[in-house]
Amino acid sequence: MISSRWTPFLFLAPALAGLLIFRLVPIGIAVGGSLTGVSLMGDLNFVGGENFHYLLSDPQFWASLKITLWFNLIINPLQLAIAFGLAMLVFRPLPGLWIYRALLVLPMAVSTGISAVLFGLFLDSNLGPFNGFLEWIGVGAQPFHRSQDQALYTLIGIATWKGAGYWMLFLLAGLYSIPSTVYEAATIDGASGWQRFRYVTLPLMRKPMAFVLVADTAINFLFFAPVYILTSGGPGGATSLLMFEAYRSAFTFSDIGRSLAISTILLGIILVIVVLEFRLLRSPEERS
Amino acid sequence: MEAQFKSPHAIMLRYGLLSVLAFVVVCPLAWLALASLRPQSEIFQPVSEFGWSTFVPSRLTLDNYRALLASDFPLAVKNSTFVALMTVFFGILVNAMAGFAFAAFDFRGKNLLFLLVIASFMMPFEAIVLPLYVMIRAFGWANSYQALIVPEIANGMVIFLFRQFFASIPRDFYEAARVDGASWLYIFTRIAMPLSWPTIATSGLMLFLSQWDSFFWPVVAASNPDYAVIQVAIARNINFEQSDWGGLFASTNLAVLLGTIPFLLIQRFYVRTLISGGIK
Amino acid sequence: MGWPEEQVAPLMKAFKDATGISVSAERLPITELFRTLEVRLQARNELPDVYLVDGPLTASYAARGHLLALDEMLAGDKDRFLPTTIEQGSYDGKLFAMPLGTSSQLLFYNKKLFAEAGIDVPSSDPEARMTWEELLPIAQQLTKPEISQFGFAFENANPYQLLPVPLSKGAEVIGPDGLTASGYVDGEGMVEAMSWYQDLYQTHKVGPVGTFQTGVTQEMFGSGKLAMIIGGTWNLVGFEKFEDLDFGVAPHPFFEGGRAVTPTGSWHIGINPRTVHMAQSQEFVRWLSTREAMDLWFDLRQYPPSLEEIWEQRADTTFVDPAWAIVRHELANTATPRPPTPAYREYEDFLRTAMQDIQTGANVQESLTRAAQNIDREMRKYR
Repeated sequence: MISSRWTPFLFLAPALAGLLIFRLVPIGIAVGGSLTGVSLMGDLNFVGGENFHYLLSDPQFWASLKITLWFNLIINPLQLAIAFGLAMLVFRPLPGLWIYRALLVLPMAVSTGISAVLFGLFLDSNLGPFNGFLEWIGVGAQPFHRSQDQALYTLIGIATWKGAGYWMLFLLAGLYSIPSTVYEAATIDGASGWQRFRYVTLPLMRKPMAFVLVADTAINFLFFAPVYILTSGGPGGATSLLMFEAYRSAFTFSDIGRSLAISTILLGIILVIVVLEFRLLRSPEERS
Repeated sequence: MEAQFKSPHAIMLRYGLLSVLAFVVVCPLAWLALASLRPQSEIFQPVSEFGWSTFVPSRLTLDNYRALLASDFPLAVKNSTFVALMTVFFGILVNAMAGFAFAAFDFRGKNLLFLLVIASFMMPFEAIVLPLYVMIRAFGWANSYQALIVPEIANGMVIFLFRQFFASIPRDFYEAARVDGASWLYIFTRIAMPLSWPTIATSGLMLFLSQWDSFFWPVVAASNPDYAVIQVAIARNINFEQSDWGGLFASTNLAVLLGTIPFLLIQRFYVRTLISGGIK
Repeated sequence: MGWPEEQVAPLMKAFKDATGISVSAERLPITELFRTLEVRLQARNELPDVYLVDGPLTASYAARGHLLALDEMLAGDKDRFLPTTIEQGSYDGKLFAMPLGTSSQLLFYNKKLFAEAGIDVPSSDPEARMTWEELLPIAQQLTKPEISQFGFAFENANPYQLLPVPLSKGAEVIGPDGLTASGYVDGEGMVEAMSWYQDLYQTHKVGPVGTFQTGVTQEMFGSGKLAMIIGGTWNLVGFEKFEDLDFGVAPHPFFEGGRAVTPTGSWHIGINPRTVHMAQSQEFVRWLSTREAMDLWFDLRQYPPSLEEIWEQRADTTFVDPAWAIVRHELANTATPRPPTPAYREYEDFLRTAMQDIQTGANVQESLTRAAQNIDREMRKYR
């Protein structure tokens, strides 16, 4: 393509300047901070890899890492699948469809923190209407976030309740950018509904799906407010995600070095996983 | 697929599925909305007394909403709306340009730059809040709208979104225009953007919600009551000693309803765009 | 600060009228208060000038250089305050945070539920204080699972509410150096006390399991689904919204053969040593310690005053109410501040988690041992 060497950078400049100042420089400072220790009186001293070294020998870190990976292994595919299903359901015209779409996306306007407070009350074992309903139909009240076995899955449920409709929108926008002629051609060729989905829709949805998977992965690795509000990492450490450990170290334990080391590790893990996700959803041309 | 969805059974099935899903999604919010209309003393019903009364109030009152109007809630709604709209306006422009550059050009260092863009939303905000706060104060922006808006305009996730969708526009489009002598600015504003209404609408929504839901940064950067935002006004109802559940439910309910308006406005952009005919 | 506007604004106005200095108050939602304050303090700049200090965090802030010693400034005033409040605001023998008020916990009971069950209500006389052993059978009688009614609960599962349980048994809850948890947090007395606590919820099932929010237990008591609750004086105002509720108050129970212990401590105010408005900040804190300011503050926000003078001045008016009479007795005799350790935040965080887990049925010894190990690990940096 013919273009001046500088054209792309002119397009990039405003956004990159903003990202550089307000995100990348602070991130650099934070990553640098992971190599320091802060004394009680606020004096900074370089400690090299000590924070990381200490983390690797800390059983709490390994336990949190395991929980974080398990949490993400479930929640990311789950949210992508549900969001895709919803997008297919609200794609084709139907009378009154806009009402369903609006209802499905309502939770995205609830902030994550408030959704935690809301579900804390909704699922409360004594006053929560949901447990009332479970008793009424004979299942019996469940402890949800108060139980070691159910807490993590309760959090996954809350996050999915809030996220599914939101991610649906991106996939819906993707579905609309698939030309209808492609379907028509496939139909003429005699492809069944499933074949069209598998060989036409899915391949053309790679880019929107990559976006949703990558963005969702980043958000879920940094999932935090409901842990803080509902479980404080409990019961019995069942929900002590790495992000919560990072928070506790910085704001409760005055151990900034440990907190920044955890954050840096999180950044590294997310980047690696995201690169894998990109490879997974790459189109055949890109692969060659 | 087209054919299947037209049969009456398939349509019934679709309505059925949608109704069930919508019910599941809306249920907690409906409980919240109805509870916000109850008098303070009746907001909760014990589990053993589950029935219609769990959802339907025996006596409706607007007391909780009246109290909101008299508090700083209207100011918070105004602030959040202003901050969110400014972010949407500048954010779409700035991030779309960057996304376009990543999709339409090949240049040196592109992959590295893109990696940095991606990395920008992968660090916990808690880890960068301290340097960011120090920076904002150095700029003299503490307690100002700039502090709430400017750092949130450039958004890695939105750039990424634009890149993904611009990349699905065939480059032939651009090349044809270049041959006709069009400038890149012209191609961006007159070809790429008009082909991307669903993406523009979705990214606008993303930027809007990022501000509508934001909580920690506004508290740190602009805690002066004049700059209170909606999530802060909501959270004030929760307290160590006692919580104003009525106020919390009413304010959350309004935040959800107001926060959904942008979606209702942009819904009409979720249609096939001109590009539909173009990709081969 | 996390208080409603109508409680704070008049105080600021009165200060402006008295001195001509205007104060701009930042109001932070309570859920974000500590996190935001940490960001501010860790930035180590001149803001905020003065800030509210949760009593037990005095040592934490002071040890990290975030508080100015107030001894000189309030040299003549220290004995005007209740001794426990000065104790809570001090670290290393110096006063760092001036007490704005204090707190106490009472046993609230629902008169109607007691009458229905034909049980005599507990006495409001601190000398005739109920024992925990006497309370349990009453709570059992008042527990009716079929209508979701519970007999008894602590309003919350925080160390603030629960430490009096081991303390009443004579247990020590932290090492004498304030920096040792093992052997104390998981000591015999603590394990025994927390096992008793677990039994209340798990064996006798007299309390609602998994309810860790004052706002929720308050709702249960207010709607007649909880017969007795141990709660703070804030409930005197909090229960007003329940039109049908008729409640009485009694002193905090204790263990037979043990001693009566009640929680105490509340908000203090401290000065940022880096402030550029040092004179004005000192003037503000000094003004807040005056009888006039404290009296106004009590009118605005009904917390037990930290100044003796206010108690005396209102002895025949406000404080004839039995609740306040009990509180006055407790503050003079049984009030025990939370441990004065610079690691209180770490201590509270881990212990709270353990206490919540114990209530929901976790192994008592294991939970406390894990908490003790974690606390000790985080306390190392202060040694």
